[in-house]
Amino acid sequence: MEAAVQAESIPGRLLPLTILQLGWRNLRRNHRRTWITATTVALAVLLVQVAVSLLIGIEQQSFDNLINYQTAHAKLYADGYFTKREELPLDYTLTDLQELRATIEVVSGVAATTPRLNFSAQLSNGIDLYACIGVGIQVTDSDDDVFRIPQAVVDGEYLRSGEEGMLMGTGLAELFGVATGDWMTVLTKTKAGAYEALDLPVIGLIGTGNPLIDRNSFLVPLETAQYMLGLDGYATELAIRFSPTARSEETLSAIARAVDNQHLEVKGWREMEEDFMALVQMKRTGQGVFLVIFIVLAVVGVTNTILMASFERTREIGMMMAMGLRGSGIRRLFLTEGALTGLLGGALGTLVAVAITAYFATAGLDITAMYGDIDIGYPVKDTIYPAVNITVIVASWLLTGVLAALASLYPAARASRQIPVEALRHV
Amino acid sequence: MTVVARLIDVHKTYKIGRIRVPAVRGVSLDIEQGAFMSIAGPSGSGKTTILNLLGALDTPTSGTVQIGEGTTAGLSLKTLADFRNTHLGFVFQTFNLIPVLSVRENVDFPLQLQGIGNKGERNERVHKILMEVGLGELADRRPTELSGGQQQRVAVARALVKNPTLVLADEPTANLDSETAGEIMTLMQTMNEKHGTTFVFSTHDPLVMERASRLVRLHDGQIALDEAGDGGRSAS
Repeated sequence: MEAAVQAESIPGRLLPLTILQLGWRNLRRNHRRTWITATTVALAVLLVQVAVSLLIGIEQQSFDNLINYQTAHAKLYADGYFTKREELPLDYTLTDLQELRATIEVVSGVAATTPRLNFSAQLSNGIDLYACIGVGIQVTDSDDDVFRIPQAVVDGEYLRSGEEGMLMGTGLAELFGVATGDWMTVLTKTKAGAYEALDLPVIGLIGTGNPLIDRNSFLVPLETAQYMLGLDGYATELAIRFSPTARSEETLSAIARAVDNQHLEVKGWREMEEDFMALVQMKRTGQGVFLVIFIVLAVVGVTNTILMASFERTREIGMMMAMGLRGSGIRRLFLTEGALTGLLGGALGTLVAVAITAYFATAGLDITAMYGDIDIGYPVKDTIYPAVNITVIVASWLLTGVLAALASLYPAARASRQIPVEALRHV
Repeated sequence: MTVVARLIDVHKTYKIGRIRVPAVRGVSLDIEQGAFMSIAGPSGSGKTTILNLLGALDTPTSGTVQIGEGTTAGLSLKTLADFRNTHLGFVFQTFNLIPVLSVRENVDFPLQLQGIGNKGERNERVHKILMEVGLGELADRRPTELSGGQQQRVAVARALVKNPTLVLADEPTANLDSETAGEIMTLMQTMNEKHGTTFVFSTHDPLVMERASRLVRLHDGQIALDEAGDGGRSAS
């Protein structure tokens, strides 16, 4: 008779659906307070999602820009060139270009190839003299199969086969104060070390949004570059574009196998731009932390709302506990209410964010009004297009729910620690 | 008869600041299966404290509270909650229904707590008890759409639906007019006679006291009178 009471094995819990139902209806109980809290969360989610969409859009445009104007999807170099590529050496060159292209273009996943000859040069308009990067490109068959330079011509026209001239970056043209039709002198050194000078007309100006090209580079026909450098038949790199369905890593491996034992090395665009990719990753992390902090600040309001609800419903909590609902059940109930408030606000913010993002994803956002010619750290043109990313949208919405639930931990724990007999006496 | 609950020399003292206030002083009481027992007395006599002790909502300062085969001494809050869930039904003075749930959902609530996952079984039991308390037609209404008497009927249904060992009702008619109070007492009495459920209720209303089959009168935390009642038959 003196043994402690042994309760039967009964959970003392509510069904999940009941908790959801109860939580949702409790939110509607004080709907004005719920809407105010949810609206605060919605504004935070709206700003975060629009900001993230812009960042993703800028990143994607940056990657496209690099691929379209600078790195292609991959490049093939002579052994040793890659590590010294910033010095623009002429000692590591590719030869038998037609044969090499034929070898690469049959590799699965490769869509097109084109040889380029990069060299250091000095440009002069007769008054000023600046060090620049010269790029020899194959005008016919096939630079525009790999790169998208013709689309970046903002004044004048693209290079023509058999015609001497240069395409100049808009920033560089501005520096010199020259325009299409003006003449420039190119000063360079041949591979043997002899100085060479050549006067060339500016055929067109290119604005790619990529500072390396727009402010530092000029493009000439490959034959002109080979002639100036004494490198007839040579190139410093073979740029490669992949087909849209190609798997990058597999294609890179296949190319490497195709040129095995030829003292060549293939590099993907991410490896070529590893400094930029590291910067992107660093920015992502920093911005991610900032945005999560932003949502955290917004969901602090949820703490207050749930705390007030738990005060108001003290007797109800006591009654539920008297009927046998365990403290953990009370905790779940208030955590659910917090999470639902976050999800409700998150859903509102997401809907508006998706509408705004979808509009600007089509119309574009002209950043020159905000930044002018200031370098924003990404190689993009003046109009950016935010990207609607379903994964990010769903993840940030769910994150809001989780953070709102976490914000409800304290009031939920406080409610669950009530002593039933005291809670029932609460007036 | 089988004793379903027993108090043995129970004391309960509350500490308010530095002052110790004795609420119950040496109460011993046996409650038999099927009793329809009233605990009466003026305010502050210890009625609610005794109901709280019997309801495993509170533990005694000294003495023993036995319910069924065990005592409530030294049990964790979780174990006490499980025990209330299994054995006890409550009817409160202010009804204490969950306002956001319908009548049906309020009555279903304790069945869910008992872990009855089968919705069909729960619906059947809820429907049956609501018909018994005369609320079958109002099952989908919210508590705020019901009169006080109807709300207390829901509370009685909620207490009875899980077939508890003991139903504890703290001043169940205090918020009702005398006619409705009589109806609620009749309902509880009917359930007591029909199902053999043990009822213990506190009151200071003489009309309610006279319905009891046993009347315990408290004064200053002690039993002043413990006598058999006739269940209201003499009054009728």
